[in-house]
Amino acid sequence: MKKLVALFLALVMTLSLASFAAAEEPFEITVMLPEFVVDVDFAAENNPILQYIEEKTGVKLNILWGPNSTYGDLINTTLADKNPPMIMAVTDARGPSIIDSARAGAFWDLTDYIADAESYPYLAAGTAGVYRNISVDGRIYGIFRSRAYPRAGIYYRCDIAKEVGFDKEVKTIADLTELAEKLAGYSKDTYALNMCSYTAGTINVITVAFGAPNNWGVDADGNVYPAHKSPAYLEGLNWLRHLYEIGGIDPNFAQISTSDWDNIERTGKAFMRFDCLDNAHRQQEWFENNAGTTEQIFQTVGPVAKEDGSVTVWPQNNGFAGEIMITKSVSEADLPKVLKFLDWCNSPEGQTTLNAGIEGVTWWVNEDGYRYVPEDKTDEASNNSKMYLHDLNQLGMGVPGNLENPPAIVNRGVTQLRERYNALNLELAPYAVSDPCFPFVSETAVAFGTQLNQIISDAAVQYIAGLIDEAGLQAAWEDWAAQGGDMMTEEYNAAYHAALAE
Amino acid sequence: MTTKAAERKKLHGTGLRYWVKLRADIKRDRWLYLLLLPGVIYFIVFKYLPLFGIVIAFENYVPYSGVLGSQWVGLKWFQYFFKFPAWVTYLTNTLILSFMNIIFYFPAPIILALMLNEMRSLRYKKLLQTLLYVPHFISIVIVVSITFVMFGPSGIVYKGTEMILGHPINYMGSPDTFRWMIIGQTIWKETGWGTIIFLAALTNVDTQLYEAAMVDGAGRLRRLWHITLPAIRSTIVLMLILRMGSMLDTGYDHLILMANPLNRKASQTLDVFVYQQGIQQGQFSYASAIGLMKSIVSVTLVVTSNKIAHLMGEQGLY
Repeated sequence: MKKLVALFLALVMTLSLASFAAAEEPFEITVMLPEFVVDVDFAAENNPILQYIEEKTGVKLNILWGPNSTYGDLINTTLADKNPPMIMAVTDARGPSIIDSARAGAFWDLTDYIADAESYPYLAAGTAGVYRNISVDGRIYGIFRSRAYPRAGIYYRCDIAKEVGFDKEVKTIADLTELAEKLAGYSKDTYALNMCSYTAGTINVITVAFGAPNNWGVDADGNVYPAHKSPAYLEGLNWLRHLYEIGGIDPNFAQISTSDWDNIERTGKAFMRFDCLDNAHRQQEWFENNAGTTEQIFQTVGPVAKEDGSVTVWPQNNGFAGEIMITKSVSEADLPKVLKFLDWCNSPEGQTTLNAGIEGVTWWVNEDGYRYVPEDKTDEASNNSKMYLHDLNQLGMGVPGNLENPPAIVNRGVTQLRERYNALNLELAPYAVSDPCFPFVSETAVAFGTQLNQIISDAAVQYIAGLIDEAGLQAAWEDWAAQGGDMMTEEYNAAYHAALAE
Repeated sequence: MTTKAAERKKLHGTGLRYWVKLRADIKRDRWLYLLLLPGVIYFIVFKYLPLFGIVIAFENYVPYSGVLGSQWVGLKWFQYFFKFPAWVTYLTNTLILSFMNIIFYFPAPIILALMLNEMRSLRYKKLLQTLLYVPHFISIVIVVSITFVMFGPSGIVYKGTEMILGHPINYMGSPDTFRWMIIGQTIWKETGWGTIIFLAALTNVDTQLYEAAMVDGAGRLRRLWHITLPAIRSTIVLMLILRMGSMLDTGYDHLILMANPLNRKASQTLDVFVYQQGIQQGQFSYASAIGLMKSIVSVTLVVTSNKIAHLMGEQGLY
């Protein structure tokens, strides 16, 4: 027994010594981030980028990676943990469990802190509208990860388009149809439109282009209605159905995993995609780095005119993709330290480090003062990037906009596309359609949202694939209404009117 | 039941005397009771204590507030589930899969066990048994991948049917084929492993009975019918009762792996719904409520089928 007591005392002493010593050490922050790079492990030890961050901010990062495909599940289970990581990158910021947890006080309320422009200049510089979009009951519980408002759109392989005799800019819906039909005829083994089991985005882009609302619309009487009630929604589906019939879409698209989506383009199996526009320059970059492409082979589509001459619209993003939240594992006294660090992440230096890494490891500076990777170092840089930088950009917020310094230079097509993307963002902005119900929470959506959305998207997929006709589509929509869709519409309607009244 | 209770009274006496006797028993067989202890602790810690978590089915459980701090909502989640007709789909899908499982999968290990029992060469039998156990150890993820490679649009079976029938059958993307694929995979994976319990029961059959029957001129089928099957009848009934208890369990991993937008009509079962609500949506309370309802039905089914077994003159589960 005496021995046991002695052992216990010794243990207590070592522990207290250890904590005493820790006071001298850098402030450690645990962070949970989604992981996309799977072929190379993240170097947690001897990582020059982490060392650089520690040197600049006095913060030692301890990162927990969660595979992206099941990251949402991981967030939900982590929330049940007594000591969750101090910082969590939350990808589904409007998920019911996040909203419930925020209301219960699992995250720090940052509303007053981000208003403090003196202490946190970069966090305070964020657009108020986007902060409002991520707020819960008017309070802000996280720092948004900034994205351009009009982000979804259409891009295609312009080199293949030229080959099949389409050598002009897409200006009208008719042009788009012509382009798709020509691409469909390219070869027996290839397809025009790249589709996979995730269809909501593709359908959203094309139906909104035809004039349907973005998920939810407001009719002439000022009432909220779901997108599929709009006749334009059916027009959009018909467009896809026609393309499917002429062999422009892989007949098995519904069984293709989301993780293969990019690969279908990379292996030259399909030439057009309705998705995030910035993916165009990412694909271009991949071709330049891996296939020796030297010319611009991707093109993005700008504003398009409909048959009646009016300019078509695009689904509007909500200005963010997920948020960075601080859990109550951080004490109130330490909160400013953590916020200071997040503020640094948004500074030019922080943005460059999180998005691109550090000089001499993942990038070098050319004589014009641009960030680049020399020819002979591409392998090294790519390796370092996977091992040291990994997916640290998931912590990047870009709240005050892109401030990377020195700016990146990428030779050949990527820069052109990237510039076009930035220009398009401005050009498309007036035509972007927002989802009026986005900031609201519907109880039915919380309980049945997943299933209800599935009814709509499954029916759309079956319609495109010719498995059901218009009557079948109608039946599915009625089913949706009966299963809780009507209830959800009512709840959103009430919330919408309540917000208007305010 | 009452006769049993009376028997116990006679054996152990009542009240105080019962406890005195029990103490004496424990003292006498203390080493045996000691051996029992780890098992009892296991059940208390891992099976009984977590039962208190059921309470979240009646709360609006938010992990941060904890089980004690979350808001009490009574039967809200139960009402929610029945509010919309979707639950009918989940229930029918679950029941159809379960019945198909009982009709097509359940007899498979019995038949296989009987076939193995008739083998003459003992060495060959042992080798075959080992080989038959292998699929059980293959992860369901792998099984589904193999299925995709074979039955998918570029697979050999898909192409084969296209050649024979002139048109392809979309095995992986239709609600009609979905259930058959699931049952097929289950049969392939678990039949061999399922034979173990029946083979064990078969070893208890007195070989003299066979010899006597042979002398009387009974053929193989007769021996099978009059000796082998009656010998394993109680095992079959026992397994069937246990199967009844998991009538509403379809598992979710297998179904989620096989599901896609084209066959979702058939793949939405209660277990899949619980997974979607609990893990994907983070609605722990709602998921627990559905899980609790499922368990109540399962217990009822076990008790009823056990009763029926008793009526049929079998020993049953207890």
